[in-house]
Amino acid sequence: MGRITLDKVRKAFGDVEVIPPLDLTIEEGEFVVFVGPSGCGKSTLLRLIAGLEDVSSGEIRIDGQNATDLPPAKRRLAMVFQSYALYPHMTVRKNIAFPLKMAGLDQAAQDKKVEGAASVLNLTDYLERRPGQLSGGQRQRVAIGRAIVREPAAFLFDEPLSNLDAALRVGMRMEISELHERLKTTMIYVTHDQVEAMTMADKIVVLRAGNIEQVGSPLELYRAPRNVFVAGFIGSPKMNLIDGEEAAKRNAHTIGIRPEHITPSPDAGTWEGTVGVAEHLGSDTFFHVHLPGREEPMTVRAGGEVSLHHGDKIFLTPDETQLHRFDAQGLRI
Amino acid sequence: MATQHSRAAARLMISPSVILLLGWMLIPLGLTLYFSFLRYNLLMPGANPFVGWENYSYFLSDPAFKAAIVNTLLLVVGVLVITVVGGTLLAILLDQAMWGQGIVRILVIAPFFVMPTVSALVWKNMFMNPVNGLFAHLAKFLGLPPFDFFAAAPLASIIGIVSWQWLPFATLILLTAMQSLDSERLEAAEMDGAGPLSRFWYMVLPHLSRAITVVILIQTIFLLSVFAEILVTTNGGPGNASTNLTYLVYAESLLRFDVGTGSAGGVVAIILANIVAIFLMRMIGKNLDA
Repeated sequence: MGRITLDKVRKAFGDVEVIPPLDLTIEEGEFVVFVGPSGCGKSTLLRLIAGLEDVSSGEIRIDGQNATDLPPAKRRLAMVFQSYALYPHMTVRKNIAFPLKMAGLDQAAQDKKVEGAASVLNLTDYLERRPGQLSGGQRQRVAIGRAIVREPAAFLFDEPLSNLDAALRVGMRMEISELHERLKTTMIYVTHDQVEAMTMADKIVVLRAGNIEQVGSPLELYRAPRNVFVAGFIGSPKMNLIDGEEAAKRNAHTIGIRPEHITPSPDAGTWEGTVGVAEHLGSDTFFHVHLPGREEPMTVRAGGEVSLHHGDKIFLTPDETQLHRFDAQGLRI
Repeated sequence: MATQHSRAAARLMISPSVILLLGWMLIPLGLTLYFSFLRYNLLMPGANPFVGWENYSYFLSDPAFKAAIVNTLLLVVGVLVITVVGGTLLAILLDQAMWGQGIVRILVIAPFFVMPTVSALVWKNMFMNPVNGLFAHLAKFLGLPPFDFFAAAPLASIIGIVSWQWLPFATLILLTAMQSLDSERLEAAEMDGAGPLSRFWYMVLPHLSRAITVVILIQTIFLLSVFAEILVTTNGGPGNASTNLTYLVYAESLLRFDVGTGSAGGVVAIILANIVAIFLMRMIGKNLDA
């Protein structure tokens, strides 16, 4: 249940090719996150899998069965939309029961499943309310409830947390991960937020302009980005990328070094610079260090108790074993 | 506008328009009420004595009155059913992306800009005329006898003409409502296994309910007073077959020159319209504040 294979799937709107032919396999029970900047085609890819858009060519298989021309309802997939897409004229109970009603289940079976889903999602007290009377997080849960009652082969999430405030977002992230642990159902999750991708995914698919840049576990992507784009996209704060002389010294076109792999020191080191903005997070401090001849500041992680101030002179020493080297095409060496 | 002073100033400033509006409404209403209690016939000039409820009992016991009430209701309900159902279907059609959408939309809305008298005359002479009308030619082409619309089905013909005029209004309101329907909601319903008909029934129709309420309310107000279409086509006939309340009041005061009875009929019409309005507000008004 829930193995999805994309075979040379291509999508074009008119003359514009949004997704060039693309192969991808999503294993049963996996939590896969599609991540990429806005307009990279990740939502389109999800809609292709859902059947809300037709593929221009190629084949989508769900559990080995060709689903390319199946209507969305027949694919046994459930989707949670960015706007939640709740039905405002129905109570929460009716919202959750809607897919069951459409499937022709009798009233008793509907009630049982709705009660079950509501208790899993802490919605029991809100069943008779309308979506308009719920908070953002509760609406989100109703949307998830509507998805789980169908017992689908896979869940599709289209940026489900982007309408929530920061604190709720962290909470819902945990709840969705928790849900995945419990249901063991395949989940495909689209987001532009790499933190969500890193924290939730079993497998991350990084997309840029419809192309898959890299597929792998969060730590694989973090430790060994295949190219400059992935290196810059995954990780927060971003990896420092350096071109030119310093890179040439290390036989590369571009080198990358993560903020935590640079040792700052007040008196000696490889690079000399001045401290710019310092972000104190308590446990860590991130310094933005301006090096001569570089426009973008270098981001450096230090402990929480470092006393360096704006304008201070500082020396940086990269951990040479943790350097990422990329060639002129931006590929990893 | 919080202080006592500014509130008083505000009242002072809106008073001219309020007084004007009140006068506009109250003076004709008062005169109509006054006339309705007089024996006032233009064919018999002279004294206009006070006759109490005589005009009312005369108007209400007139067999034409009952026919007029039935016709008025048939006309209103008939046009409402046709325009709401037709308007919903047309709105769905026009909501689809298609080539030449802008022009098609303007064409659909065009009938609303044609004056009632003109459109009724066009229908009467160019379409429904049993000798020269397009429908007659069509019937002859098919080998059928031409149908004399205004003689055989006068009220239905008028319902047809009025519906044609009001269909664009309903379509326009429902189309704008349709466009505010979130497409993700329809997609969610599609993923939930709802076919096109279920989507229409469970998603589109509830979404349109408020707009449909508005259409029904506004149209009822105007449809209760349909007049021009009747005047230029059937003159309320044959017999009373297409006389509605408005036309009956006109006939009393300006064909029989009985101003007193006409005024009484006018007052009756006001009362009936208010009864209908109260019922409508009760029935569907609650749809509006949800």
